[in-house]
Amino acid sequence: MTAETIIQSLASGLLMGLLYGLIAVGLALIFGLMDVVNFAHGEFLMIAMYATFFLFAYFALDPLLSAPLVAAALFVFGAVIYLLIVRFAVRAKANAGMVQIFSTFGLAIVMRGLAQFFFTPDYRSINHSWLGGKTVSVAGIFLPEPQLVGALVAIAAFVALYFFIHRTDFGRALEATREDAGAVALVGIDKNRVFALGWGLGGALVGLAGAIMAIFFYIYPDVGASFALIAYVTVALGGFGSVFGAFAGGILVGLVEATTALLLPPSLKSVGIYAVYLLVVFIRPRGLFGSI
Amino acid sequence: MKISRRNLLLGASAAAALGPIAARAEASEVAIGVIYPLSGSSAQIGVDAQKAFETAADIINKDYDFKLPLAKGEGLPGLGGAKVKLVFADHQADPQKGRAETERLITQEKVCAIVGTYQSAVAVTVSQTCERYQIPFLSADNSSPSLHRRGLKFYFRASPHDEMFSKAMFDFFDDLRKNGQKIETLALFHEDTIFGTDSANAQTKLASERGYKIVADIKYRANSPSLTAEVQQLKAADADVLMPSSYTTDAILLVKTMAELGYKPKNIMAQDAGFSEKALYDAVGDKLEGVISRGSFSLDLAEKRPMVGLINEMFKARSGKDFNDYTSRQFMGLILMAEAINRAKSTDGDKIREALVATDMPGDVTIMPWKRVKYDEMGQNNDADPVLLQYLGGKFVTVAPAQVAVSESVWPMPAK
Amino acid sequence: MDKDFASRRRRELIVAAVLALLAALAPLFVKDVYVQNIMVLTLMYAALSQSWNILSGYCGQISLGHALYFGLGAYTTALMFMKFGILPWFGMLSGGVLSALIAMALGYPCFRLRGHYFVIATIVIAEIALLLFQNWDWAGAALGIDIPIRRDSWLTFQFTRSKLPYFYFALVLAAIAWFVTWWLEDSKWGYWWRAVKDNPEAAESLGVVVFNSKMGAAAVSAFLTAIGGSFYAQFVSYIDPESVMGFQFSLLMALPAVLGGIGTLWGPLLGAVILIPLTELTRSYIGGSGRGVDLIVYGSLIVAISLARPQGLVSLFSRAKKVPAR
Repeated sequence: MTAETIIQSLASGLLMGLLYGLIAVGLALIFGLMDVVNFAHGEFLMIAMYATFFLFAYFALDPLLSAPLVAAALFVFGAVIYLLIVRFAVRAKANAGMVQIFSTFGLAIVMRGLAQFFFTPDYRSINHSWLGGKTVSVAGIFLPEPQLVGALVAIAAFVALYFFIHRTDFGRALEATREDAGAVALVGIDKNRVFALGWGLGGALVGLAGAIMAIFFYIYPDVGASFALIAYVTVALGGFGSVFGAFAGGILVGLVEATTALLLPPSLKSVGIYAVYLLVVFIRPRGLFGSI
Repeated sequence: MKISRRNLLLGASAAAALGPIAARAEASEVAIGVIYPLSGSSAQIGVDAQKAFETAADIINKDYDFKLPLAKGEGLPGLGGAKVKLVFADHQADPQKGRAETERLITQEKVCAIVGTYQSAVAVTVSQTCERYQIPFLSADNSSPSLHRRGLKFYFRASPHDEMFSKAMFDFFDDLRKNGQKIETLALFHEDTIFGTDSANAQTKLASERGYKIVADIKYRANSPSLTAEVQQLKAADADVLMPSSYTTDAILLVKTMAELGYKPKNIMAQDAGFSEKALYDAVGDKLEGVISRGSFSLDLAEKRPMVGLINEMFKARSGKDFNDYTSRQFMGLILMAEAINRAKSTDGDKIREALVATDMPGDVTIMPWKRVKYDEMGQNNDADPVLLQYLGGKFVTVAPAQVAVSESVWPMPAK
Repeated sequence: MDKDFASRRRRELIVAAVLALLAALAPLFVKDVYVQNIMVLTLMYAALSQSWNILSGYCGQISLGHALYFGLGAYTTALMFMKFGILPWFGMLSGGVLSALIAMALGYPCFRLRGHYFVIATIVIAEIALLLFQNWDWAGAALGIDIPIRRDSWLTFQFTRSKLPYFYFALVLAAIAWFVTWWLEDSKWGYWWRAVKDNPEAAESLGVVVFNSKMGAAAVSAFLTAIGGSFYAQFVSYIDPESVMGFQFSLLMALPAVLGGIGTLWGPLLGAVILIPLTELTRSYIGGSGRGVDLIVYGSLIVAISLARPQGLVSLFSRAKKVPAR
């Protein structure tokens, strides 16, 4: 194992980690901050990737250009899903947690079925885009441009979310609503409105991630499944209630994955991620930076 | 109203004439079960397979002038012109569901034979269930060599398995070596499924027998979110030949990741699967000029056997795609099963099995480049010669073995 | 009050006995193998979900990693039989005991975790086991274990065509899981769990005993789940890591209890009776189209039921019962 291999591994791991962070940032808002389980997170990502693909296929729109459009579309989608389905799951008096898990799990299955129905199960991908296949090489270390841009978008998304949560009235309303929906109702905050906006925002962040992912990843109805578990682990590893935690969680997951693949057969590389999660929560039961 | 004697007679004879037709209409369908993943992560394969099977059933049931068994005339002459009826079932890549669907097809739908399954894990339970009910199972497109070595009497496979496929690759390497090419090191890249494991085992064995050095043996998790670490190890090993055994999803990600990490393999020799799928070449075809994949089918054959081209057109009209390695084998699977049922002149499982055992079909009446179809005592056809196809100028051409090759191989792979 | 309680308990036992008897007679009328297969799966999932319910419903420790115990049961039985020729009945017991021990070993660090942290821990532990089995050559790795079919025999628990032996085994397993739950409801453990749910402060004072009772619940739950896994290995006679340890399996085990009524005695059974035939029938009769319609129907029903009846379908019955009582 040469020094170059190790540096390349760590650099790739860091980029991958930021990408996992980008995929998880929407979940960090919905799952981490609003404390609502969304088992259809991977399917949100799938829809965003399809949206990017079709904008490319029919309007020759580069994923970087369509990213804001996809984010806007997913904003609406997230808010609508909240109002149509999740609102009732959150309101459930009994077993709210389980009802959330299984109503969104059912939703995930429906979304896969609909994607197969409308888009066929064929594998799609965007074969040429501004960034696709381009790579920056510095002293023999290769950094693919899509991932680099993904990493920058991830950082920007986390910074924006951080300020949004900690510096705006909406952010404070969101946290207050999670803590005590009854009390905020007294001061005139409508829980459904706040949460619908939260879900919209979470959807928009997934939309951004999907647009970036579509540059270099394949797209098919089950594509979300590959990312969903990693996204949950990322959020929980960082700790619920912490935006920064999810960001740090993503980076850690990427680095651990790269390191594990150097030490163990690559088919076991996820074992490293899971082991680190267990190690962290056994020592710190609220994750790295969690407050709840 | 006066009923004349003549009218009465006419009516009677009409009824008499209609009678047997009506009676025959009831018995004039032979149901064959077709088990594939029609939903879930490999649904695309199942949906394409449906089109291939429908094309085959169409050719059997209608009159076509092809030199293919059962093409001429309608239906199965051995069963009074009975039509083939396909009953599709979805196994969702789950062995338990494959088993349940097999039972349903046999006991409820009364199928007399079953063709399947794509996933080898599901073929295990489907073939086992067929054995329990003494119904013949034809494995159209499973390539795991362990499948036919389980002492099953009702298991048949016309197409090659991974050991035969891998042998073709190493024969090809040996020939290149004789011609002075330097091939010493190999890198295996395979998924952690039955397919990947069996393929890698066969390749590892052949490599040590024939004096090739495996410098990287990378087993990865199928449908991984990233293959960066894996590709780095491939790049570090930089073998003379990269030998991937991957499905479409991972194949796309592999090729993209290699490009992103600045790794251009000297040569790629693929174990089919993803590397025979149109989706891969749509996505990254420009990076695959010169890649060689094993296969059991080649469209070049159309030049020698015009019916291959015509049947391909029929399939394309249904699916929008050319025949590939899977769909061609699926197509052929139904033809072979129907041909045996026709010879058995019966829908009884044992009789069909006897007919399958007695099969001896010359290769030139199939759409495949096989020598012939004749099953050994384990149900495997050993005369199905695999071919090696090279992707050149946007299409596949057969480069080996010599008797079916249409052009010389380009070796090493062109450096872009 | 006490009298009411005692009579309700007795009534539950009688209802269960009658249901079991009716189920035992069902194969006299249902000869179709496909339908019998659905009945076996329904009972198997009822048993699995009932076992899951002990830990996750009554005890409140939501596990989405029960596929681990299911897979351990399946693998222990199959490996002991194939490698050492040990009859599946011993394998079944060993798998159960092994799973119970592992459940306690994992419970020790995990029970300190709360909420989602715990749930995700259960998921990743099962996922680690899945990856290890997928890469463990001695245990067949991805190739899995194919149990060859020989003669029909209760000794090796193998029957080529008949579903009846499997049906009766699954029925007994479901009945045992039900009875264990019924018995636990009125046990010390049951009281503690209720006390902790009703009054979090009580949890503090009961700390140690409650922790021990959770370990007990985990062991019982894992034991029964592993027996279910052993049964599955015999029933399907082929296992591979994905089909017995996949994450989907953990969800499928929890689903009947959640839809039927989590933490209730009858919920898992009711959920399984509705859900499993639905799953099988949608796949068999709509899935053949290849257009994903079966997924749309199946998923929509899960969403609809879980939203319409958050406390579970079993609540439909309890309300009907309460009204005339008043």
